[in-house]
Amino acid sequence: MGDHIVRAYDQALEHLSSDLAKMGGLAESQVNDAITAITRRDTALAQTVIQRDAKIDAAQKEVEKRCTSLLALRQPMANDLREVMAAWKISSDLERVGDLAKNIAKRTLVINQSDPIQLTKSIERMGRLAAAHLKQVLDAYSSREVAPALAIWFQDEDIDAHYNSLFRELLTYMMEDPRTIGPCAHLLFVAKNIERIGDHSTNIAETLHYLVTGEEIASERPKADDDRAMDT
Amino acid sequence: MNFQAPQSADTTGAVQAPTPTVQSAPHQAGAPVKVEARDVNVHYGDKQALFNVSITIPDHAVTAFIGPSGCGKTTFLRCINRMNDLIPGCRVNGIVEIDGKNAYAKNVDPVVLRARIGMVFQKPNPFPKSIYENVAYGPRIHGMAASKSDLDVIVERSLRRAGLWEEVKDRLAQSGAGLSGGQQQRLVIARTVAVDPDVILMDEPCSALDPIATARIEELIDELRANYCIIIVTHSMAQAARVSQKTAFFHLGTLVETGSTEEIFQNPRDKRTQDYITGRFG
Repeated sequence: MGDHIVRAYDQALEHLSSDLAKMGGLAESQVNDAITAITRRDTALAQTVIQRDAKIDAAQKEVEKRCTSLLALRQPMANDLREVMAAWKISSDLERVGDLAKNIAKRTLVINQSDPIQLTKSIERMGRLAAAHLKQVLDAYSSREVAPALAIWFQDEDIDAHYNSLFRELLTYMMEDPRTIGPCAHLLFVAKNIERIGDHSTNIAETLHYLVTGEEIASERPKADDDRAMDT
Repeated sequence: MNFQAPQSADTTGAVQAPTPTVQSAPHQAGAPVKVEARDVNVHYGDKQALFNVSITIPDHAVTAFIGPSGCGKTTFLRCINRMNDLIPGCRVNGIVEIDGKNAYAKNVDPVVLRARIGMVFQKPNPFPKSIYENVAYGPRIHGMAASKSDLDVIVERSLRRAGLWEEVKDRLAQSGAGLSGGQQQRLVIARTVAVDPDVILMDEPCSALDPIATARIEELIDELRANYCIIIVTHSMAQAARVSQKTAFFHLGTLVETGSTEEIFQNPRDKRTQDYITGRFG
């Protein structure tokens, strides 16, 4: 990224990139902690996740401020321009990931007031998978490598498949014992939130692809669509 | 003074110039080629300044030449209207075609060629004459006006096209040198369009102007492209990005990359282009 004649320009771009990396780290730990909190019925941890979301929001504002000032002061071109646009887009994906983690934590507080549900294991598996995807795509961003990001882009199908099977299991559960409808409905939202975190990882993979190559990803993403789950 | 335009005053075709018969140049989608260069090499004495430059330049569009100082962009610009003929020791090889006609053919009179290919320079260079005479001079010597009233029409139309008419209509007899820098540059552009050229070459037309005057010239360039093929050499990449539809990047005497301006500034193919436009070497 370096080698600009004007060194302050390099520094500004480096700051942007490191701010975004930090924000990515925050988002990753928020997702992981939210999953841990719901799996272990850890109310205290869930509350920490809820409180920490403000940090991600602040980080996003900081990244946007840096982008705006780079655009205004440096008029970036070509790969530098894509660098700034990518940072802007990725920061808004990460901010959404933070919101989804927070929402999982909020629902954890409610779910913890009912008896434990066995399905939290499936939620954990799905959640860890989404967290791993997020980590991999953020690592790919740090090293500006398209291949691992593309792999994630193709693998998002797996998360969708998890979601669809969880959806069915939850339906069965609720039909068997209507008393579980409350916590199960919350779990359903938690599963949907995790599925959306996966979507944000694929967004980041797409942005990274554009950042590095200057092109949009050419093919259609494979989808284990919600449609079948909705037909059930 | 009566400036009402009789229809017969249309001067198109009045310039005796080699008219195109064959369009040999390949066409881009929707953009007819006005200028085509193939394997142009230029030497100044022993030193080679341009290496095998080949490019097609579309009509009714602005093409920007960018590149660091000494990269050959101005040298190439000057090949198009044979301005390099005037430099002792300068040799031009290769083919430059305007409307499919070789500009370097034996039967082409460079003076007539330059009437068809106007040029605007970095520093405004109005003649030390009145504003009116600055614009009227070209059409008069090329015999484009049969009468004084014809000439009046050409002068007004040219000054209007250059966006200067409203500012100078009440002082046409005053010296062109009394205008501001930006006005002088627009006067020079009016002088250029007065002879109804096909192509307008601009060699850093705004580098001596302030941002407001620059913006006016850029607006003018955008208007002029409806009628002309415009080629602009500029050191300001932002200006190239703002005014041009096609951009060509020169480096060390070679044409490195050409493409739509959006492509060049968002996603250049060549590493050298990318390094230059992102400010990594100068």
